Amino acid sequence: MSNDPLETASQCRHYAMCKIDYLETGLCPSGPEKHYVAYYPQGRMDIYAALKRNLIPLTEGLIDIADTCTLCRICDKQCHFATGLRPLSVMKALKAEVEALKESGHSIHQPPQDEVLEELRQIVGPACATNDPAILITYANDPFPLKEMQMPRFVVLPASTAEVSFIVKLARRKGVPTVVRGNGGSVYGMVFTDGIVIDTTRMKDIRIDADNWTATVGAGVTSFDLQREASRLGFRVNAAEPAATVCGNIICTGLFSTWSASYGTFSDNFIDMEFVDDEGRVTHLSDPASPNLYAYQHRVMTPPAICTRAIVPLYPISNDEESLLVPFTNFEDAVRLARELNIRRIGLSIAVLGPHYIATFLSPTLELSQRLKQNLGNVFGIEYAVFVIADSYGRDAVKKMAGSVIDGPLLRKLMLGLPRFLGKDWIDLVRTYEGDHPPYEILCDPAAAPFIEAALQPTPVTAAEAVEEDLRQFYTSLYHKPQYTDGVWLSMHRIVSCRMGRHKHIFAFLVYLPADDIEMFNTLNETFGCTAKELGIDHDFGFITPMDMGKRAVYEYDYYLDQTSAKDKRKAAAVMERIVPWLDDLALTRKGFTWIKTFFSQGCVRKEGFFYEGFSKRTKD
Amino acid sequence: MTFLTGGTGFLGSHIGAELLLKGEETFFLIRGNRKVSAARLEKILDWHGIDRALRAKAHLIEGELENPGLGMNPETLLRIDRIIHCASDTSFSERNRKRVWTTNVESLKAIMDFAVESRCGSFIDLSTAYVAGRRGGLCPEEPIESEGFFNVYEESKAAAEHMLLERCQDEGLRLTILRPSIVYGDSYTGRTFRFNALYYPVKTTLFLRKIFEEDIRERGGEKASEVGVAIEPDGTTRLPLRIEVCKNSGVNLIPIDFFVDAFFAVIENSSDGGIYHIVNPRQTKIEDIIDYTKNQFKLKGIWACGQEEFQRIPRNSLEQLFKRYLEAYSPYIKDTRIFLTEKTNPILERSGIVCPEFDESMFRRCMSYAVENEWLSLSI
Repeated sequence: MSNDPLETASQCRHYAMCKIDYLETGLCPSGPEKHYVAYYPQGRMDIYAALKRNLIPLTEGLIDIADTCTLCRICDKQCHFATGLRPLSVMKALKAEVEALKESGHSIHQPPQDEVLEELRQIVGPACATNDPAILITYANDPFPLKEMQMPRFVVLPASTAEVSFIVKLARRKGVPTVVRGNGGSVYGMVFTDGIVIDTTRMKDIRIDADNWTATVGAGVTSFDLQREASRLGFRVNAAEPAATVCGNIICTGLFSTWSASYGTFSDNFIDMEFVDDEGRVTHLSDPASPNLYAYQHRVMTPPAICTRAIVPLYPISNDEESLLVPFTNFEDAVRLARELNIRRIGLSIAVLGPHYIATFLSPTLELSQRLKQNLGNVFGIEYAVFVIADSYGRDAVKKMAGSVIDGPLLRKLMLGLPRFLGKDWIDLVRTYEGDHPPYEILCDPAAAPFIEAALQPTPVTAAEAVEEDLRQFYTSLYHKPQYTDGVWLSMHRIVSCRMGRHKHIFAFLVYLPADDIEMFNTLNETFGCTAKELGIDHDFGFITPMDMGKRAVYEYDYYLDQTSAKDKRKAAAVMERIVPWLDDLALTRKGFTWIKTFFSQGCVRKEGFFYEGFSKRTKD
Repeated sequence: MTFLTGGTGFLGSHIGAELLLKGEETFFLIRGNRKVSAARLEKILDWHGIDRALRAKAHLIEGELENPGLGMNPETLLRIDRIIHCASDTSFSERNRKRVWTTNVESLKAIMDFAVESRCGSFIDLSTAYVAGRRGGLCPEEPIESEGFFNVYEESKAAAEHMLLERCQDEGLRLTILRPSIVYGDSYTGRTFRFNALYYPVKTTLFLRKIFEEDIRERGGEKASEVGVAIEPDGTTRLPLRIEVCKNSGVNLIPIDFFVDAFFAVIENSSDGGIYHIVNPRQTKIEDIIDYTKNQFKLKGIWACGQEEFQRIPRNSLEQLFKRYLEAYSPYIKDTRIFLTEKTNPILERSGIVCPEFDESMFRRCMSYAVENEWLSLSI
């Protein structure tokens, strides 16, 4: 990774991982106090890049943003874990840049007086609505390759449903467009406006009703925060990307995860939702008079309204849950096992993973993950794996069905001993292994346990050997905490999945299709793979999770693009030209086939509406 | 002029180098595009110390065995006197069956078509003594009468021999099949660039030793003690490893320099072709190799025993691991096959070629070379 501040700043992935305390480091101190994205490391990265490109003037907001950075180094730890970037150099450079502007006598730009802004401030308070360009710029772009920068006129931070309602009414009255950003984030290039950005980050109320098995969450509550709170009380929720909001995830993509194997997807994920419609009226899905958002429509949709609250189900946790990784030498067998487990109701969380996912999840650095990915298949024979979380009965069943498995303790050893696992001696020895069985079977053999422990020395210190020297102490203490090597905890909090965009921004294609259609899975892999190869794009199989008793599955294939490269942007456009018509056609002709283009923004629908034929009219545009 | 396949492999490259040293114009068929193939050829000739002048006689044909005509122009094609076919996939593993079968059997059709097209008259095939398969006892220098095989390598090489015998007879091509046993490094220097076969069990043992010694020295030896590994007061390391052998079993080992000498002696003195074993008249007992290993590397606790010993005391975890790791080599550790050399012997005797004995000094030389070179196989 580069040490150049501008290069680092330009690579910020906008995954908002600096807005959740997922490493127990605490948060950037100014963020929770000021709430705007601009006061988090993500915002400061954007601001520094914008400043260097003369996109923003010196403002009081900018000075405050620079001054409130304490160089506490929390951002370096958080961002390194997720993306390998080291934002501290950017923070230092930003402070120096602003200081230099001040010292050079640069005039301080005053944002214009604005009637709408004054009214917004009356609704949310003076500190929570702004038109300062330094703050606006942090809501003006995201890493999606096909979206150009668009500066909003205002950013406003409501704290309640009532405030959202007033804002919407005001915007309607003044004819100003609005978009809503849960937690301020955006990665799909969809929440941009030249009007008002409504950032729901202050709406962080979580109410757990244990007797009723429900959690009520505000629009600014992240998946991580809810999962942590539910977990503290002995429950689990079906959560998606950790830094994304629960409401946002439900609305946008229907909230799917590997846990969808047991917890379902789309309308399975909520009990009720509260909205503010485009006239500012507050509605509830449970109200018979409210619009029917349960019905899937096979067309491109925009979000139905602003979701201000969701009531989601809580699930019990048994005290013997553990993760298992079942290695396979081929794709088909892995998919078959995953489906079979779902048919038999074995396992809570199920996913077919490829070497890229496995390597990325296990490795604290990009370099290590690339080496692991290279060796998993070539040396250890692990071309694919089925990741399962199950109780002890479930795990016994998986072992009976699959034979060799990497169980939770072994997975922990591999994570902690990874730098040595990829050592020359070990790799060389396994590479020349000539047995009839895949080499991973030796790894999984209980007889090998003392040898593996002696060889890998799986300790937090060993794991930390992989990172830069100044971060080793931090990683050592991090890996001393059992949850950071616990497959169950990591999976339910999803904090390693953010690493998928570590080497480049991830551009994911999501498809729902019949889980028994191996031929179609192969076609998807081949077509996505060949298209990427022809266009010169980094790419990899993402994952498959079976659901609905093994009848359907969600499938992900990922393209990786350098968000700062004009060439990669052109490639992304070429991808869309080729892939979109092909997937559109499959959605019209294949039973049970739907892709993200049409289910995006329809997260409240009943999954049955598109899982099964005959419940939505499907025609070409 | 010789056309050589497999010229970047261990045996094939030694043959290629010897051909160049003898001043023979040699076409090397090497996989990959021109740039890659050329780099591979350069690398292997560097390893063999072939100088610039001699390299002028080395000609690269890049491509795959399966390509018709193998990319040669017809004029050059007709200048080929003989084909030496060394290209082979030596994996024993069933999981590589498809790959092994494609390389060792299916690609033969193309190479035979090429041989016929070139009208070269002589086809020399590098096979293996282990085409004998599960047949125990005496193995003659004759076509195989299969009694099953220990692995896909043996099976595919036997199938290749059958194909060649049939096709060469049909086409009137003279066929010479050479069947070496297990080849190790140079008998004078120990030099090699492949550390499989003989080397693999030793390398595995030393890896185990290293791991557990580190555990003892640096972390109190908890894991080492779980499997009974200890460092003795005299500095030796005790590895409790029993290795299963059969009564009267042994392994047939020949050094690469003997192999090369024998190979050329046979092909230059077998005007009618035929099948020839290039083997050691003396089998080396596994017990001896174990002793050599213990002596050279200061080890204790390793010993050879019969199957009944494991019925008495089941394998410990270290032994289970070792067995699993070395399962592919098991038939060769427990080998009772005796390879007859009625045809080869007179040729070697006339040429004054004698297979060196695989004694402790030979073992020490080879393993010292391996250790000094960190068991690094040449990556081609």
